[in-house]
Amino acid sequence: MTTYVFRSDAGQRHQVLKRGDTVHVDGSPLSVRALDAGHYLAPVGARPAHVHVATHGDTLYLQLHGRSCVVERVDPTHSGASAGAAGQGSASAPMPGVVVSWIAAPGVQVAAGEALLVIESMKLQMTIEAPQSGTLEDLPFQPGQTFQRGAVLARVRPEETPA
Amino acid sequence: MTIRKLFIANRAEIALRVTRTAQRMGIATVVPWHAKDRHGPALKVADETVELHGEPPVSAWLDGAALIQTAIASGCDAIHPGYGFLSENAGFARAVAEAGLTFVGPPAEVIELMGDKITARQFAQRHQVPVTPSADEAEDPQHFAERAAAIGFPLLIKGAAGGGGKGMQIVREAAALPQAIATARAESLRYFGDGRLLAERFVEQPRHIEVQVFGDSHGQLIHLGERECSIQRRFQKLIEESPAPTLSPELRERICGAAVRLASAAGYVNAGTVECIVAPTGEFYFLEMNTRLQVEHPVTEMVTGLDLVEWQLRVAQGEHLPLAQAQVRWHGSAIECRVLAEDADAGFVPDTGQVLLLGEPQGPGIRFDNGVTQGARVSADFDSMLAKLIAHGATRDLAIARLRQALQDTLMLGVTVNTDFLGRVLAHPAFQAGATDTGFLERHKAELRPRDWNEDERRALLAVAGAVSRDSHSSALPEVFAAMGAWRN
Repeated sequence: MTTYVFRSDAGQRHQVLKRGDTVHVDGSPLSVRALDAGHYLAPVGARPAHVHVATHGDTLYLQLHGRSCVVERVDPTHSGASAGAAGQGSASAPMPGVVVSWIAAPGVQVAAGEALLVIESMKLQMTIEAPQSGTLEDLPFQPGQTFQRGAVLARVRPEETPA
Repeated sequence: MTIRKLFIANRAEIALRVTRTAQRMGIATVVPWHAKDRHGPALKVADETVELHGEPPVSAWLDGAALIQTAIASGCDAIHPGYGFLSENAGFARAVAEAGLTFVGPPAEVIELMGDKITARQFAQRHQVPVTPSADEAEDPQHFAERAAAIGFPLLIKGAAGGGGKGMQIVREAAALPQAIATARAESLRYFGDGRLLAERFVEQPRHIEVQVFGDSHGQLIHLGERECSIQRRFQKLIEESPAPTLSPELRERICGAAVRLASAAGYVNAGTVECIVAPTGEFYFLEMNTRLQVEHPVTEMVTGLDLVEWQLRVAQGEHLPLAQAQVRWHGSAIECRVLAEDADAGFVPDTGQVLLLGEPQGPGIRFDNGVTQGARVSADFDSMLAKLIAHGATRDLAIARLRQALQDTLMLGVTVNTDFLGRVLAHPAFQAGATDTGFLERHKAELRPRDWNEDERRALLAVAGAVSRDSHSSALPEVFAAMGAWRN
């Protein structure tokens, strides 16, 4: 489950969950089809509409019916498993830089300490490692994209420990 | 003297525009770039590119001596200044000529004559081109009030040394004149330290009408029709069109005739535009002349079927104008929208960012003069105009419909652009009826506000946001990377 807000209406949070081709938005299921990179077909009421999207970190730029808007992905104030774990599954940038390459891809299982991506900062290359074991949920920045200090570079969803 | 290699002293969309025509004519092209402006589309098309240096970046395009040196070092024999920057700088035009290069534009003396608003205005009066009636207090301070009243109402009392709307009073009747003079004087003293005044006829709801003129070095000078540029914000044009809707054939002939008379008398050579304001009552007044190619020249090109940059290069080479006045033909209607990086609904506040996803509109009658490429950074270093979108149609309604669709199809994600706002202007009944004047945007402000997204739209947008986040390794990546799919070491 991921939380999003419209930049123009940041007080209202929306819960979005993707299961296969169906995306649940605040409980309502919508079937979304990818046509091309950054180009989707999604229903607006009864009719499908073309939506274009580009992402930069946690910010998504979308266009529908010729109008654009900005949606931000919000870090939930608590992640499921670990107590007081706000951000514990996240690796943040120690300083501004650029992503050189990905080593792992979203969706795979990773172990704590495993290399996830390579960044370059102040002419130094460094490898960002998984802060804990779990599923690599997201790499918000793609190769070539720049980020600021403190930006979340990787999100790992910790595995549920059996009771 | 045929131009063999052209240095284009400009950037973004106009650099590409000029490069394309030069290449078509077999002329080699050199386009400059700056470290903070390395994504211009012209750079991928020009024969050679050369780096400029300067901080702030715009200073590189304003350093005439360095530009001339760079042009010579690149083996160029001509310089096209584009618009803005040094295009109307007589000193630059003169320096180019003195360096032995061809300046694609009018001679320096003509730039000088028309570049000064006061000398241009006096020149216009001497050649029976109407200018707004005015009275300069300094000429006869004792009788100022009477001379002002003689201009007729409504009139404007303003500080002679002023600007920016300060120290200006609109007077609609004789009784209000003495107070207006007193107030204007007090304000002018306070803001500019100078209480001298000017009285000028105030044109309400003026249309901005300009005429494209073209002269050659053999004494020929013709006009290529008029453009209307009344949709403006902060005195900057947003939408321009040709022909001017609702202009009577008689008034068109008088305005174009006056423009030709003025430019001819000035010995004008190459492309120029004579700008006027037209009152609702049909009087027109000369405002100023722009001694260069204008941003909005594409609308003239689309209704005449001509290439104005080609004409500029031919005239610069000493050729005769390709057509005589009687041979020029106009077909249909063309409208241009300036795509700017600004939030039109938040007071036209400029935005910065990066063009993450670019989609160019296309279709019959659609022309997109793009100034950015995907990945380009949009910063405050340069002008906020990213592209020009022009549509042509046999009728004005068709041009409007095509333009509205093309605006919807335009994708510039990653920075806020004004395309949706422009679409709302085109959809407005007053615009469609041709009821335009320079006060249009202000007057219809409330009607031009956006409507909120409805629930269904918001859900669709969030659904795509959710979908792309899981597919984040393939969204917005160039195809070659996306095709690799997920991978691990």
